[in-house]
Amino acid sequence: MRLSERFYSNVFILPALIYLLIMVGYPMFENLRLSLYNVDVMNIAGTPSFIGLSNYRALLHDDIFWKSTYNTLIYTVLCIVLQFIIGFVLALLFSQKFSLAERLRGLVMISWLMPITVTGLMFKFMFSLNGGILNEILMSLHLVHQPVEWLVNPSNSMWAVIIANTWIGVPFNMILITTGLTTIPKDVYESASIDGANAMDKFFRITLPLLKPAITSLLVLGFIYTFKVFDLIVIMTNGGPVNATEMMSTFSYKLSFVEYKFSEGATVANVLFIILFLVSLGYLKLVSKEEVM
Amino acid sequence: MQFHTKTERRHNRVLNTVALLITCAFLFPLYWMVVTSLKPEADIFLAHPSYFPEHIQWASYTSQLIGANNNILHSFVNSAIISVSTMVIATVLAIPAAYGLARFQTPWKKLFILLFLVTQMLPSSLILTPLFIEFKNLHILNTFWAPIFADATIGIPFSVMILRTYFISLPKELEDSAKIDGCNTFTTFLRIMLPIAIPGVVVAAVFSFLYAWGDLIYALTFISKPEMRPVTAGIYNFLGYQGISWNNIMAFGVVSVLPVILIFIFIQKYIVSGLTNGAVKG
Repeated sequence: MRLSERFYSNVFILPALIYLLIMVGYPMFENLRLSLYNVDVMNIAGTPSFIGLSNYRALLHDDIFWKSTYNTLIYTVLCIVLQFIIGFVLALLFSQKFSLAERLRGLVMISWLMPITVTGLMFKFMFSLNGGILNEILMSLHLVHQPVEWLVNPSNSMWAVIIANTWIGVPFNMILITTGLTTIPKDVYESASIDGANAMDKFFRITLPLLKPAITSLLVLGFIYTFKVFDLIVIMTNGGPVNATEMMSTFSYKLSFVEYKFSEGATVANVLFIILFLVSLGYLKLVSKEEVM
Repeated sequence: MQFHTKTERRHNRVLNTVALLITCAFLFPLYWMVVTSLKPEADIFLAHPSYFPEHIQWASYTSQLIGANNNILHSFVNSAIISVSTMVIATVLAIPAAYGLARFQTPWKKLFILLFLVTQMLPSSLILTPLFIEFKNLHILNTFWAPIFADATIGIPFSVMILRTYFISLPKELEDSAKIDGCNTFTTFLRIMLPIAIPGVVVAAVFSFLYAWGDLIYALTFISKPEMRPVTAGIYNFLGYQGISWNNIMAFGVVSVLPVILIFIFIQKYIVSGLTNGAVKG
């Protein structure tokens, strides 16, 4: 490699890299350090002591930590499955030939671009017991006989946040699957028809297998981005009622900024990061096999 | 699109109707937000709320335009300052980085790309506390700089990844001929490559803008002065001290979604292509 090329690549790449090192790299390192000390609101200005892995050990006996981990996992898996199925059905519909296809498909994107704060409040209102339109619709269709306590009852609140997040995530799934569908050559289907394949055969024998790479990376990305959910929960339920929707991220935030146990909050955030990092590594391995690098 | 035969036309009509119905059902929450913002308080809590606003009132909008600390106009301006600054910082840093990673061979290239990819996947709760302490030491808590700097950490890696694929897709011959005409690496980049990459740059910039526009947690954590809060933090705080006056909250919501709708109308097709190229979700 020529020396000038190395010089230029540094000049181009380093400013962004240095920025991220200061604003992301250093904080990540600090968070790790924080989790090995016992920093709280009392000693933050003084001299906190090094306590090694005690914070991590304490988490093992913390019921809310386990509850939040379980919740995060359930929430992530259910959101991904629902978004994926609905996104797939819509993608199949919108990849048909009709005049409004592109326009309407684009319109659906709005739900993905909106500030999550606004989406969260919108759903909070629709799910509410007083004047909530969702119960009104369900009752007028005779699907339920009395108003459902969506956000007040611990056994329903998880569904409420999952439904809201599914609404946000559907367009992303739809767009990526639609793009995948357009890459499948038409003549594959035609020759299958000649061989006597029906619609079901075509879907399971051609569409799904050919979409597999796109689907895998869609699901892994979906996992990564859903697992770190924060804003939506803070707005709709704030983790309640009685921790029914507490997630790792909201639990970490509460420890740090409500109870001011900064080290304990940092510890939970690090566990969240380790899980995401392992999944990301899997994803990177996957995409680097295909092209990206 | 042209539909010639009779069956084709019928097919088209049926699919249009089905798709239209589904889209309407899907976008109902947005409609409901607008309707609620126009209803008087009493109509909102009726036993059977009406699907159309029977008595339209604009008070939810007008009363909040001139309120004391937390008014819509003020919050809107704050959001604009934060989002535009974030967009500028993120784009200015990301463009050259993306170009560098697309065009030059360096021994660290793979590692750098990996770093940008991983940064996109970080949970905000991981860097929130340390950033809070860092900003406190830098004395920029309670200034717009704090959320701007934090929001750019999401925009930069995202922009680098979309723009890199964009630069790779541009023909290399353009650069070679510019070099022959006497351009050096910088002038080739500025005068030849950057202008052609404008569609990619627009998508990257818009995403950085939208991330910052939608951010709640950085603004809430780093800014404690009500008069400096952006729209998202403004609406959130409304929940706390107003009881729940849904028409006011929804009016705030409608106003904060306006830029999203506008951006969407103008560059819809770029967004879709940018999304599929970058394949990343915030």
